[in-house]
Amino acid sequence: MQLPPFEYHRPASLDEALATLDRIGNDAAVLGGGTDLLINLKLRLERPAALLSVRELPELAGVSVDAAGTLRIGAGERLTDLATHPLILARHPGLAQAIRAVGSQHVRNMATLGGNLCLPTRCWYTNQSENWRGSQIPCWKTEGQVCHVIKTAPNCRAIHSADSVPALITLDARVLLRSSRGERELRLADFYRDDGIENNALLPGELITAVLIPPGRARSVFVKAAARTGLDYGYATLAGALTGSNRAPKSLLLVAGSVGTVPLLLHKPAQIILAQGLTEASIEAAADAAREDLGEVTNLFTPPGYKKRLVRGLVRRVLNDLRRQKLPDAD
Amino acid sequence: MAKKGDFAVVGHDQPRLDGAHKLTGRSLFTDDVVLPGMLHAKVVRSPHAHARILHIDISAALALPGVKAVVTHADAPNLYVGIEQPLFRHEIVNYIGDEVAAVAALDEATAAAAAALIKVDYEPLPALYSIEEALEPDALLIHAKARGNIAWQLAQDLGDVEQGFATSARVRTDHYTTNASHNCYAEFHVAIADWSLPDKLSMYTPTQTAILFQKSLASALRLSDGQVRIMNLNTGGGFTGRTSVRPHHFIAAVLSRKTGRPVKLRATADEEFIACRAGGEVKYTFRTGVSETGRIKAFEADITFDTGAYVESQMIVLTLTSSYIHSLYKIEAARYLGRLVHTNNIPYYFHHGGGLAQMAFGLGQHMDALARELGMDPIDFHLLNGVTKGHTSMTGTFFGSCGLAECITKTAKQAGWKRKYGKLPPLKGIGIGVGAMASGAKGVFKHDTSAAFIKIVDDGSMSLFVGLPDMGQSSHTAMAMIAAEVLGARPTDITVISGDTDIVPLDVGALIQRGTFNTGNAVKAAALDARKQLEVLAAARLGVKPAQLVFRDRQVYPKGQPDKAIPLKKIVYDTLHSREGRFVMGRGFYNSPKESGTMAYSFGAQIAEVSIDPDTGFVTVERIVASHDVGRAINPRIVEGQIDGQVFSGMSQVLYEQTLLENGQVMNPSRLDYRLPRSYEMPEVEHIIVESIDPFGPFGAKEVGEGPIVCTLPAVANAVANALGEPVNEMPITPWKILQILGRRAKTGA
Repeated sequence: MQLPPFEYHRPASLDEALATLDRIGNDAAVLGGGTDLLINLKLRLERPAALLSVRELPELAGVSVDAAGTLRIGAGERLTDLATHPLILARHPGLAQAIRAVGSQHVRNMATLGGNLCLPTRCWYTNQSENWRGSQIPCWKTEGQVCHVIKTAPNCRAIHSADSVPALITLDARVLLRSSRGERELRLADFYRDDGIENNALLPGELITAVLIPPGRARSVFVKAAARTGLDYGYATLAGALTGSNRAPKSLLLVAGSVGTVPLLLHKPAQIILAQGLTEASIEAAADAAREDLGEVTNLFTPPGYKKRLVRGLVRRVLNDLRRQKLPDAD
Repeated sequence: MAKKGDFAVVGHDQPRLDGAHKLTGRSLFTDDVVLPGMLHAKVVRSPHAHARILHIDISAALALPGVKAVVTHADAPNLYVGIEQPLFRHEIVNYIGDEVAAVAALDEATAAAAAALIKVDYEPLPALYSIEEALEPDALLIHAKARGNIAWQLAQDLGDVEQGFATSARVRTDHYTTNASHNCYAEFHVAIADWSLPDKLSMYTPTQTAILFQKSLASALRLSDGQVRIMNLNTGGGFTGRTSVRPHHFIAAVLSRKTGRPVKLRATADEEFIACRAGGEVKYTFRTGVSETGRIKAFEADITFDTGAYVESQMIVLTLTSSYIHSLYKIEAARYLGRLVHTNNIPYYFHHGGGLAQMAFGLGQHMDALARELGMDPIDFHLLNGVTKGHTSMTGTFFGSCGLAECITKTAKQAGWKRKYGKLPPLKGIGIGVGAMASGAKGVFKHDTSAAFIKIVDDGSMSLFVGLPDMGQSSHTAMAMIAAEVLGARPTDITVISGDTDIVPLDVGALIQRGTFNTGNAVKAAALDARKQLEVLAAARLGVKPAQLVFRDRQVYPKGQPDKAIPLKKIVYDTLHSREGRFVMGRGFYNSPKESGTMAYSFGAQIAEVSIDPDTGFVTVERIVASHDVGRAINPRIVEGQIDGQVFSGMSQVLYEQTLLENGQVMNPSRLDYRLPRSYEMPEVEHIIVESIDPFGPFGAKEVGEGPIVCTLPAVANAVANALGEPVNEMPITPWKILQILGRRAKTGA
């Protein structure tokens, strides 16, 4: 399969990038590492007239901690660099695990954090060649009026599978968005929308410039259940971050990925742990309770029922890992 | 009998001769070939599983600049590429991917654009997507001649089956299913045809058997065999799948004829899964009767294949599959039932293991279950019933060598079977698989001939000409080693010339594991012929009889007197630079002396250890102890590599691989979604090479091309059953099946 023709823009500064975006508007696709975008272009899932490369923008680079202790990660940072970054490894082991779980080493050498945050949802009725899709009635994503996965769905139910996202949400991360109109900040948990097509809150002309992680010492874990080690989409992933002690936890966030169209916050298991502390019994109870948060789970890529059973197992594993983990060193 | 120390080359580790080429990307494959004026082709395929073609409009495609030809059924109305399969469909399409038209253009992008411009109007028809649907009494007929949608069937009794079951103390029946799967060839399907002159069709393409390709193309295209030249460079994987020509070979040829230019046609990633045949769903029922002591008295196999929209030569494999048990166990009564069923799924052929590996998933579990039912250790069951040296099966196969028992006992010892079987903690399991495999067989032709010749240049270097392809198994290195052993040369002195039917001698090819055995014997004969010519001068110089000469380490000397050695290249030089002026060329061929069937079988046993993750349902294969009776290991390093490759593929088939289908459409036609494991998933493999020294093989060698894989599937499946406390009778054994079973067992407290 070959790439379709497109214009290529490589602005030297953020301002130039935003001005270019304004000028070419909706016909532009933002190019980070291209590890997903270029494949989708070959599949003719997207047909932008122009690609705007932001990977080299100096404003999107860097990992730093400000005076208040907030960690700022530039959206143009390569995943390979982030997975081994001393600040991230020391403060947020779960995030480092999540970033390492993305694609393969080769993919991570190219892919950017901003690109992973904006990873389009995936579905095997759409992420196929144009010829293959010719055998199917068009669906929501291919300009039709139906979802092949859940026939009654009013919108696209493709799967969100960006591995860094659940881990970042458990850390209460925020994204910094810039356009020529100015800058705004959003909690990453509020960035995603339950729609496989309009999957995030990015407005036309807007770019993610950085991810901000608030200060605080939390234990954190990320696990991914995938058929293969490396280079695979997960059947499900789970991130957890915990503050306080095993006996008296103060906060716990558990977020499941690759189970639906948005990352899914698991309330019930967290409530059980916060009420009972981290014990063998409470972990079992929390794992059993995960089912209540899942609701109708898609059987995309896996047979019905598996994701529910799997999330139960992953909750058990994440909580056990958190229980054993030492609190990361102070900043 | 010769010992390893008697050989200078055979039995010693030899890195493959093309290793550096492969590692540095210098090996040429078909897709690397660019011919002057070459066009690129694309195929227009049916988007429907079953439909009537109402109209085909090619005008817009023809009008596109750069397009040189469009072909449809009208261009090849009488050209059949399979039973009831014309090259292009013009009335009915039978599966998603069925060929309707093809385009040749100046470049691939233009060809693709033109293919998209070909407008085909279809009237969709009801379709059949499973064996069950196709066998319904009132099911529609996919091919009028295949009544009941049964393309072919088999019913054969050997011995008194009823009596055997009637006198059995115990009879057990089990059902198994193996799902559709794909070979994931390292090299995609590709052909470059040059038929620009009417009396010669030249084709570059990967193949396991150039001669079968040559004959099939010649016969279908009304050429003589000699007018078809097949050139196979390196071949990236065979797996039985490259044993016969496919539509893309014919399409490239027809387009080349029409345009008068060479045409390249290569499969895209999803075409590999959609249109390049691999294994379909198979359902097996095995019934075995045993005596009180566990001896098999009667056996019945009933096997149903989903053959998809068209049938290929699966009838051969159905026959081989059903009668496989003869080569493994001493059986006195057996019934083989089987049928090939048409559906509107992709046309199938076979996954790695030629159908036998998949069958062994069920058969090996069935025998294991039978042993457990008898309260017998499976090892004792296999030892009691396994064939032995000197045994003649009821179909007349004579086992001139057999290391089965040795494989089983050595493997069990190394794996610690007695210490572990039945004694492992929950969710850990151990299982054994045993197998046998033919080394070549008659059946394709009246002969099963391989031929070879060798020329020796006056600097002592040699060229060995063989028709045997190397599709990754390192056959060419083995052939060079055999010739080097006979001639006292080193393997690196020898260049293997292969892959051009205009140049190399006849060879039935790299199929039925005949390469080492048949071509090896031919190479040995050719080398002996050359040596005989060198012996004349050497014997005269050394003043001994030719029979007393030793050719070894680039020297020739009288037996026991290496101090009198003359360099081999001096013998060669002086033989040429003489009054006679003899240029040394050795010729040889080998054909099995048997009327039919196989001269030798390899045997093996493997023990797998697995663990199950109760959180995810994932199975990890932790260790495999693999023994294989190869007769003699010509190149032990490659024998181990072959075992590793098959352990990987066998494990992968049991636990990972499945072509997922929905209404006839492949849902995972990519290496991303068809979940072939990666090297991370490869278990530790411990190799035990057993050498039974076959009386008929070259230096006693048999095969290692497919024998190991038939052991891996049952070993892993039995280990999973052992860990889980119950068998999983459907392949692949997926994490969701495991979690389902664990969930059920937790509920019932089992």
